[in-house]
Amino acid sequence: MSTPILQLKDASISQGDSLVLSNVNVEVNKGEFVYLIGKTGSGKSSFMKILYGDLTLTEGEGQIVGHNLKGLKDKDIPFLRRKLGIVFQDFKLLTDRTINENLLFVLKATGWKDKNDMNKRVEEVLNKVGMKTKGFKYPHELSGGEQQRVAIARALLNNPELILADEPTGNLDPQTSIEVMEVLQDINKNGNTILMATHDYALLLKYPSKTLKCDNNEVYEVVQRKQ
Amino acid sequence: MSSSFENHQKRRLISSYFSVVLSIALVLFLLGLLGLLILNAQKVSDHFKEQVVLTIYLKDTAKEVEINQLEKSLAMADYVKSTEYVSKEQAAEFMKAENGEDFMDFVGYNPLQNSIDVHLKADFVTSEQLEKISEEALSKNFVDSVDYDNDLVTLMNNNVKKISFWVLVISGIFTLIAVLLINSSIRLAVYSKRFTIKTMQMVGATKQFIRRPFVWKSVRLGIIGGILALIGMGIVLYYLNKTFPELQLLSNPAIITMLFVFVFMLGIIITWISTHIATQRFLNLKTDQLYY
Repeated sequence: MSTPILQLKDASISQGDSLVLSNVNVEVNKGEFVYLIGKTGSGKSSFMKILYGDLTLTEGEGQIVGHNLKGLKDKDIPFLRRKLGIVFQDFKLLTDRTINENLLFVLKATGWKDKNDMNKRVEEVLNKVGMKTKGFKYPHELSGGEQQRVAIARALLNNPELILADEPTGNLDPQTSIEVMEVLQDINKNGNTILMATHDYALLLKYPSKTLKCDNNEVYEVVQRKQ
Repeated sequence: MSSSFENHQKRRLISSYFSVVLSIALVLFLLGLLGLLILNAQKVSDHFKEQVVLTIYLKDTAKEVEINQLEKSLAMADYVKSTEYVSKEQAAEFMKAENGEDFMDFVGYNPLQNSIDVHLKADFVTSEQLEKISEEALSKNFVDSVDYDNDLVTLMNNNVKKISFWVLVISGIFTLIAVLLINSSIRLAVYSKRFTIKTMQMVGATKQFIRRPFVWKSVRLGIIGGILALIGMGIVLYYLNKTFPELQLLSNPAIITMLFVFVFMLGIIITWISTHIATQRFLNLKTDQLYY
């Protein structure tokens, strides 16, 4: 029996006073690769923000990696995020330090102490995304695709139970998007659960998987037609 | 390439830190000077009060023994700081030197009187005390008259009260300005890092973990600013003491040390609290609120 890693029941998602999504019922199981699609402004990012605690769930129920989203306390948010790996469209790397330092910061912030273990872990994740030789560089010295690979490596550091990728290919050209997608696919094949928001339908066709759609303030699963 | 970027980053950081350090140093320096002024206000006002002269004019018939006795009794009185006997000849010399001509040439004789100049201790320079001393002197039959500038004394006492009050008010305002200026410099420095702070939160860092290096960095700037302010205060104190040794600015090293410690600690405390509040503000904001 599959284990739900993310569950939302009758949830409503609001940005300030405006209701973005209502009556959301979603379940993501361990090991799945799930797309979240929808037009710009349809509520994909708000949906993601609810999941990593950047918006508060006020109506309905929500469970993610063992945390209750309803009434999630401020002090618990860092610990929720440690169980998640978050990848953003604009990479969000710390620009004032090298790639290695970016990754070491995450490890230190999440309680790692041993220097050797930390260096080993950084090397492992960079190797996974094919960036082993670029650790000494600053983010601005890398291409968009490379920066996104580093962001994925960062998301992998603490073996997250769920990776949330908010339009990870949104800033990339089609070829680089495919390269980043390949990385995410490989990670998924290794057992990581991934929820990826995108409006790049070409990727859905190339890498078909379970798809949720945000439309008209609702989220529903899109039934795939067999080709 | 990375080293040139690193150097560029360092230069940028140094110049932005420089303005923070400079504003901290300047504000603390001015605050320290004000502190010195308050601590020495009493000495300064005493210094001016003790310049007031009460002159006892003696009759020409006064005997030397009477004059000596009066001078001795005045010197022993607890309200007198110093006395000086000025003979009529000396007075004529002073007047000659002051006017540039010998008035005795056309008057034909010296109309001036022998006198005793009395400098009183600051606490006794009040209209009431001066009147009392004057009456006491006049009771002696060899004393002709007593002269002092009563208006000047009243004016001086009123002004000292007014100045002390305004110095206190200005100190309060200045302390507030100091806190606001340093706070604003630090808030700007933290504001420029708001997206970095948010990114750090996104990867699972706790607020305390994120805040710590910001606070530590600001406290270091506060320490540097404080040291610069103390050096400035030290230089000013040295030159003031050299120029006005009578004020005895360094006579109480414990108080001066306490002022220096206060100014130094103020730099640390203000930067600490300001950074704590500024980072906390951005840590508590949701991502979308960072753009407003």
